[in-house]
Amino acid sequence: MSPKAADWLERIRALDLPRKVRIMNVCGGHERSISKAGLRNVLPDTVELIPGPGCPVCVCPEEDIYQAIQWATNEDLTLATFGDMLRVPVNLRKNEIRSLEQAKAAGADVVPVASPQEAVALARARPERRVVFFAAGFETTTAPVAAMMAQGVPENLFLLLSGRRTWPAVSLLLNAGEVGFDALIAPGHVATVMGPEEWECVATDHEMPVAIAGFDSDSLLAAIHSVLRQVQEGAPLLDNCYTLAVQPGGNPVARRLLADVMEIADANWRGIGEIPASGFVLRPEYAAHDARKALPVEEGEARRRMGEMPAGCECASVVLGRIYPAQCRIYGAPCTPRNPVGPCMVSDEGACRIWWSNGRRARVEQEAG
Amino acid sequence: MKLEDSHISLAHGNGGRFMRELIDEVFARHLSNDTLDTNADSVALSLPGERIMFTTDGFTVQPLEFPGGSIGSLAVHGTTNDLAVAGADPLFLSLNAFIEEGVEVALLERIVADLGRAATETGVRVAAGDTKVLPRGQGGGIYLATTGIGVYRHPGVLAMNEIRAGDVMLVSGPIGDHGIAVMLAREQFGLRGDIRSDAASVLPLTRALRAVPGVRFMRDPTRGGLVSVAHEIARATGLEITLDEPSIPVRPAVTTVCDMLGYDPFYLACEGRVVAVVAPDAAAEALRAWKALPGGGDASVIGEMRALVHGGRVLLKTELGGLRILEELEDDPLPRIC
Repeated sequence: MSPKAADWLERIRALDLPRKVRIMNVCGGHERSISKAGLRNVLPDTVELIPGPGCPVCVCPEEDIYQAIQWATNEDLTLATFGDMLRVPVNLRKNEIRSLEQAKAAGADVVPVASPQEAVALARARPERRVVFFAAGFETTTAPVAAMMAQGVPENLFLLLSGRRTWPAVSLLLNAGEVGFDALIAPGHVATVMGPEEWECVATDHEMPVAIAGFDSDSLLAAIHSVLRQVQEGAPLLDNCYTLAVQPGGNPVARRLLADVMEIADANWRGIGEIPASGFVLRPEYAAHDARKALPVEEGEARRRMGEMPAGCECASVVLGRIYPAQCRIYGAPCTPRNPVGPCMVSDEGACRIWWSNGRRARVEQEAG
Repeated sequence: MKLEDSHISLAHGNGGRFMRELIDEVFARHLSNDTLDTNADSVALSLPGERIMFTTDGFTVQPLEFPGGSIGSLAVHGTTNDLAVAGADPLFLSLNAFIEEGVEVALLERIVADLGRAATETGVRVAAGDTKVLPRGQGGGIYLATTGIGVYRHPGVLAMNEIRAGDVMLVSGPIGDHGIAVMLAREQFGLRGDIRSDAASVLPLTRALRAVPGVRFMRDPTRGGLVSVAHEIARATGLEITLDEPSIPVRPAVTTVCDMLGYDPFYLACEGRVVAVVAPDAAAEALRAWKALPGGGDASVIGEMRALVHGGRVLLKTELGGLRILEELEDDPLPRIC
């Protein structure tokens, strides 16, 4: 047994909390660790842990996935993407190709990859064939994609980029009329890349306790303890509970690469809508490798209107932390990992999939408020 | 004399001279024993004992060779382990080899030699066999199927319906090694590691428990891993099984790869481990018996069976005392992206 985690748990139990404290995490990795360690049922009833926008696959706009399916199906090319993206469904009728996995089964050349290097290797192996690398991800995944572009890629490699920044989504939640949480656990990996400073204004501008956590129970419980103490003291600040990896200023090399290769733009988040300055797009210098510019694109607006979430799916509310996964009307029936209706049931970073995989099988009624 | 060709061709499956040479020079050379007669249509087996045990298994692993084993050794261990955990001493195997046109003879040689070595070590004889050659593109290089015959030797009855509330579950060693070793050998994720498959005969382990009264049931956690075995038991007995996370042996390197790719080691395949359910007062003796064996040093009591109204569940008590429901494996886990 890890004495540090147990120690933090004792300290948390010893706190005399004045009221119920709702703590949001914004990283699929955090939610996974919380669920796997069973933290919810060892913490006092006064501590509530809410999964928020922490899954890049879940918020990847429907029109981007649709576009990738169209290219994979209709163009003679190889479509490489992270494994999670394969099963995310788009909103089409059942007899149409609704995911990259179905496109693959129907004969399209769709290859799951685990890193940008693999996409480059695919393109190098077959220089005569076009390879589209569909890269969805937050800063942590987008930085290696930027590094790949900066190093130079083969002529036949094209990038369909759906990179997103974490902070603008959290900012959106904090600026919403009614904020549904009292404290924030900030994402350790994003802070490792971008620096802890992005999260300072949670405490300064919004007077909300915030702590950066790593991905084991030690670090998560230290961060939970930290924000609970901040609530108790009424003195919010940014606490770094992942000092092993998170340094002031983040990773300067990664940040420079991101800035060199990409620009910040307003971007669509599936089920949520456009969030200002929340997306990465390739700089014009890289237009020759930008799949959106180099390949025929489906008309965007019509696609986007029908996009959003499938009927009945409440992934948007789950992503924003407004309901728990098990409160969704279709959680478990008909939406399961085998037959996912919404994206949150697909990815290992998706809150619904995490809850389902850890044994939460019963749907619960939504409580008022 | 060795086969002169460097690669398998369709002629090696045509029933003529090429096929005879393949059988003689590759298969019979590595597998010969006093029962195997490559000229006979069938052979007579003498089986000592009354309760004859019979099982079969197919092998399609990719890649064909991986650290700690190959499809050849796996074809012996997979089938003989199924006999061993059922309480038998394996005695004879049949072997079917489906070979794709174009396979290197040197590779086939290595695999058949590996198979022969594993058979000798396990004390089992290949008594009958068949080879087929498939046209290029119609097979994964080499597929093998083995059928095994053994004789029941366990002093008591081994069956799921012998399991009672209060019984405890043991595992003979670290879990997940085979699943991770094969996955790393595919080099799909650009990861490297020195994890070796645990593929081995479990016969020494199952034999060791014959001297221990109170052993109810044994199974080898192959596809679907530890959790799948626990679910099979929970479903058959209606008991709730609580596994104790800190007690389950997992190598740090396996944990690391699982963390990186989003796998759960409790669902990963083993090919040389045994899960046993024993009466509570037999646990210490069973554990001692296993720990005394080479490779049994990490054996551990990992869980217990309880009668509950809502039985049939598998729970994991986490390091911090939290409870997590371990569900049946849904589908192949996808690698994570961040």
